[in-house]
Amino acid sequence: MSSPLTLPPEPAAQRSRSLLLVLGGALIVATYVFLVTVQPTEIAGGMGSAASLVSLVGFLGGGALLVGGILPMLTTSSLVVIPLGIALNIAIGQIAGSLGMQIYLDAIGTVLVAVLAGPAAGAATGALSNALWGLFNPFALPFAAGAALIGLLAGLAAKHGAFRRVYFAPVAGLVVGAIGGIVAAPVAVFMFGAAGTFGTNAIIAVFRSMGDKLLVAATKQGLLSDSLDKIVVFVVVALIVYALPQRAVRQFPFARTHRVLGERSGGRATTPAGADTAAR
Amino acid sequence: MPRRRTLNPLTELLGAVLLVVLVLVVNRWEFSLAVLLLVVVPAVLVSGQPRRIGVAIVLVAGPLLLSSVLLHGLFFPEGRVVLLDLGPARVTQEGLVFAALMGLRMSVFTGVLLTTAMTLDLPDLIATMTHRGWNRKLVFIIGSALGLLPHVALRARQITRAQQARGLVVGRGPLSRLRALLMVTTPLVIGLLVDASERNHMLEARGFSSSGPRTSYLPDTDTAAQRTGRRVATVAVLLFAAAWLVIGAVA
Repeated sequence: MSSPLTLPPEPAAQRSRSLLLVLGGALIVATYVFLVTVQPTEIAGGMGSAASLVSLVGFLGGGALLVGGILPMLTTSSLVVIPLGIALNIAIGQIAGSLGMQIYLDAIGTVLVAVLAGPAAGAATGALSNALWGLFNPFALPFAAGAALIGLLAGLAAKHGAFRRVYFAPVAGLVVGAIGGIVAAPVAVFMFGAAGTFGTNAIIAVFRSMGDKLLVAATKQGLLSDSLDKIVVFVVVALIVYALPQRAVRQFPFARTHRVLGERSGGRATTPAGADTAAR
Repeated sequence: MPRRRTLNPLTELLGAVLLVVLVLVVNRWEFSLAVLLLVVVPAVLVSGQPRRIGVAIVLVAGPLLLSSVLLHGLFFPEGRVVLLDLGPARVTQEGLVFAALMGLRMSVFTGVLLTTAMTLDLPDLIATMTHRGWNRKLVFIIGSALGLLPHVALRARQITRAQQARGLVVGRGPLSRLRALLMVTTPLVIGLLVDASERNHMLEARGFSSSGPRTSYLPDTDTAAQRTGRRVATVAVLLFAAAWLVIGAVA
C-alpha cells in the first residue's frame, strides 16, 4: 500500500469494499442482460422509457458502486495519475469527435492508467472520465460502465504481458474492443437511438438498409468501430509507454511488480508488492 | 457578467440530473419540448453568457441531431407508412417520428447539462463536497481532473505548434495521422507524468492518506434548507418515476 511518511495506515474495511465491487459488477451485468433479453422488441413498436431509464441507472449506478469500492484501495501514486488519464481522455476524445473520425480515441488515458497503475485504477479512470465528460458532452455519460470495463480489461491484459512486446498490443486491443463494443451498443440504442458521429452512423445505416434491427445494427457497428479504435489506442499507448523515461515508469508499483513493460519496466520481478518507496 | 448565485452548485447539479431523469421517465415529445422551451431556453438567457452556451450546445447537439435524422429518416425498416422510396433508403413516418423524439431528448440533455456545467462554480462545488464529508479521494480526483483539463488542452496546443515548427505536417493517410498523434501525445504524457510524480510526493508529505478530518479554506455556502430540498426533490422524482412506470405498465 502507500507510504505515509508520518501516519499509520488506516484500518481496512475489506469486506464492505468487495461487497461494493460485487454489487456494482452484478448491477452492470444484470442491466445488460435485461436490456438485451427483455427490451429489443419494444423499440420497434413504441419507445421504452423503462429501457432508457434502466440503462442510465443501471450502468451509472453500477459504475458508481465500482468506483466506491475501488477508490479506498488505491495508493496515492495511482491516485495522482487518474486525473491525468481523465484529462487526456476528454481532451483527445473531444478532438477526435470534432474531426468526425470513425473511431473515438477517448480511451487513451484509461488504457495508459491501466497499464501503469493496474486494472482497478484503470476501471476507476474509465468510469469517472465518462461521468465528468458527461457534464460537457451528455452523450458520454451512459457509457461509464463500458469505459470502466475497458480500463479493467486493459489492466488485466497489461498484467499478463500484453505490453511487453509492441506486436501483442493490437491483439489485446482487438479482444478488449470487441467486448467493449458489444457492451456499449444497447446503451447507445436505448438512450439516444444510436446517434453518434457521422462516421459511426454511416456504418449503422449500412446494416439498417439490409434490414437489421437497430440493436443488431448498432452491435455490429460497435464491434467494427470499437475493435478498430482499441487496436489504435493500444498501439499508441504501447508506443507512448516505451518512450517514457524509466524513472517515470518505476514510480508505479503495478508496472514494477508485474514487469508490465518487460525489460523496460526497470524493476526486479522479485520486488515485493508492499514496497512502494520511490525507488530512485 | 456572472449572474448572482442563490443556489449551491451541488443543488444546481442535482436539479439538472433529476430533470434529465424526468425527461427519460416521461418519454413524451410534448414534455421534452416543454422542458426545452420553459426551462432550458430561459436558463441559457439568464445565465449571463447566452452566446457562449448557445454556441456550445449547437456544436455538441447539432451534428448528432443531423446524423440522427439522416439515419432514422432514411433507414427505418420497421416503418410502415412510406413517404418516399429511394431504392435501398425509404423515408418513413415512423422513422421521422422516432428521430424527432430522440432529437428532442438529446437537445434537452445537452441543454440542461451544458448550461449547468458551463455556469458551475467549481471551487464552490469542491468546497461543498469537502464540507459534506464526501470521500476525499473522489473529491481530489474530480477537482484535479477538472482543473487539469484546460491545462492539458493548452499544453497539447503548444506541443502541436512546436512540432509543426520542427516540420510536422499532418497528411490525409491514417499512418501520417497516427504519427502526428504520437508526436503530440508522447511529450504531453511524459510532462504530465513528471508533474504527477511530484504531486505524489507533495501529497504524501502533507498527510493525504491520513484518515483525519479535513478543513476547507472556503466557507460553506450550503444551507440546511437546500440540503432538505435536495433530499425531498430526489425522493419526489423517484416516487414519481415509480408511479409513472407502474401506471404505464398497467394501462
